[in-house]
Amino acid sequence: MAARPLAIFLSLLLAGILIASLGVGSTDVIGLAEGIQGALAMLGLAEPLEQYQALAELRVIRILATVGVGAALALSGALLQGVFRNDLASPSIIGVSSGAGLGASLAILVIGGYGPRFMIENAVGMGPVVVTLAALIGAAACAWLVTTLATSGGRISVPMLLLVGIAVNAIAAGLLAAIQSYALRDYDVSQALFSWVFGRLEDRSSFQVGLLWTGLALTASVIPFVALELDLFATGEEDAQGLGVNTGRVKFLAILAASASAAIAVSVAGQISFIGLVVPHVLRRVTTASHRAILPLCLLAGPVFLAGTELLQRSLLGDAHLQPGVTMSLLGGPFFLFLLVRNRKELRAW
Amino acid sequence: MVNSLRCEAVEYAYPGGERVVDGASLSVAAGSLTCVIGPNGAGKSTLLKAMGGLLSVDSGVVTVDGEAVRALESRVRARTLALVPQFLDAIPAVTVESFVLGGRYGHLDGWRRARSADHQAVLVALREAHVFELRERLLAELSGGQRQRVLIARALAQEARYLLVDEPTSSLDPEHQLGVFALLSRLAQEGHGVVVVTHDLNLASQHAAEIALMHSGRFVAVGTPKDVLKPEVLDPVYGAHFRFGKWDDEEGAERPFVLPWSS
Repeated sequence: MAARPLAIFLSLLLAGILIASLGVGSTDVIGLAEGIQGALAMLGLAEPLEQYQALAELRVIRILATVGVGAALALSGALLQGVFRNDLASPSIIGVSSGAGLGASLAILVIGGYGPRFMIENAVGMGPVVVTLAALIGAAACAWLVTTLATSGGRISVPMLLLVGIAVNAIAAGLLAAIQSYALRDYDVSQALFSWVFGRLEDRSSFQVGLLWTGLALTASVIPFVALELDLFATGEEDAQGLGVNTGRVKFLAILAASASAAIAVSVAGQISFIGLVVPHVLRRVTTASHRAILPLCLLAGPVFLAGTELLQRSLLGDAHLQPGVTMSLLGGPFFLFLLVRNRKELRAW
Repeated sequence: MVNSLRCEAVEYAYPGGERVVDGASLSVAAGSLTCVIGPNGAGKSTLLKAMGGLLSVDSGVVTVDGEAVRALESRVRARTLALVPQFLDAIPAVTVESFVLGGRYGHLDGWRRARSADHQAVLVALREAHVFELRERLLAELSGGQRQRVLIARALAQEARYLLVDEPTSSLDPEHQLGVFALLSRLAQEGHGVVVVTHDLNLASQHAAEIALMHSGRFVAVGTPKDVLKPEVLDPVYGAHFRFGKWDDEEGAERPFVLPWSS
């Protein structure tokens, strides 16, 4: 399918999913009509709901968080796959997810009363801000560590990157488990830690959604400056350089944007894996492999995938719906295995 | 020197490896075709990359029209020097025409939009490299020889003053070998500076204004075909595996032919 009709199709599909999502939530005291009225009221286009305007607004914020997270993670994956010329690259592989998890968990521990007294006093009351910023720092630190260790002679080695990613992810997972076991007897802290690990799109603050969308806008703004260049990377970095591509700048911009968008998404919504792996890959199969099409399309297809899955399981399972991180792992894990098996021949050379 | 591509005492070693280029100096004037010959591992392709500004040399200097190659902004460099690699790391799933359009990267505007002049340049390049009829085919579907001509077309689309070509005829049949060298000769006559790395000593003899013989990372002889293609120059470098001859005409005296021959 050509990129333009696909973009129109995805836009319509996303609009439909978002409208339908206004009708589902953790409570059914408001339905679709009230949800739409409440959303329009936020834009000043309708009268606010008498009793449940706040509830409708929570749904709108949840939907905005879902769209932003889906877009940011898909964009991150597409950028990384382009830079590393490898369909298996994803934000979790470069340590962003586990780094964010570690940062956020440390912050939750501090806020939960396990940190030094002055930190607790300053952090309490600013929960979402502190946790989000800590996650962002953790994500950036891990991404920096992995890419630095995988760089030799000014070039990033992909096999090295994957191996270093495994090691750093394992260290972060170990530390995360240590924090969780340390806080196990404290129900509230444990609850906060676990809900963050499984990913959470509900109850996000407007600060978090604002940060998410600002980050997404900034990282998406690199698309015009790296898309064609990543297409030229397909024949090798040296070849692209010969055509006039400033490969160092493109790699820096793309990895920075990929790390930042994934870090912001994970810092706001917790660990939601595999969107960054699956969405760009499926887009490449459905339409062209050109990054000039894939990167913008990720901004639509990521939200369609995440919001669509959320809508589906909330409609089918109601209160028993799973956390988004769990759903994505259940869908993405088998897909990853499928990719590995399909690419078995190419991977044998490693 | 203005209007020339020069390297002076260039040295280069790959990270952690031995020195591949070891004090190589060469000057290629705009409007001339120079063939770089030499045994495998002599450092020819590495020097070509260094001359194209792809490598940061350990010592020495590479200049184009008097300016250091590495100091040129990357897109300006691509408009000045076009490299034709022998192979690509991977074959992208694109048509020949889109691939050749990649050669226009250095000419695109800030929003990276291709204008009609870019598409026009691509069509001209496709025709010149005799791949116009392949323009809608996928690159992956082509034979090695066809792909080599497409690589030349992409370099032509760059409209650069200097062309650096790495073994352009290694996968071509004799007709296309002659065609490619005839094209490169014509480009040189039109004012381009052309450097060709080749193992085909006879094509080099036929078309080059100068032949530069490289051995162990440096040039051991640079001169006209007649000056370089002779036993006392080639034998110490390659071993005594050649027979030499020349046609009985005026050009034959200047451009000898060489046959590899088991002794």
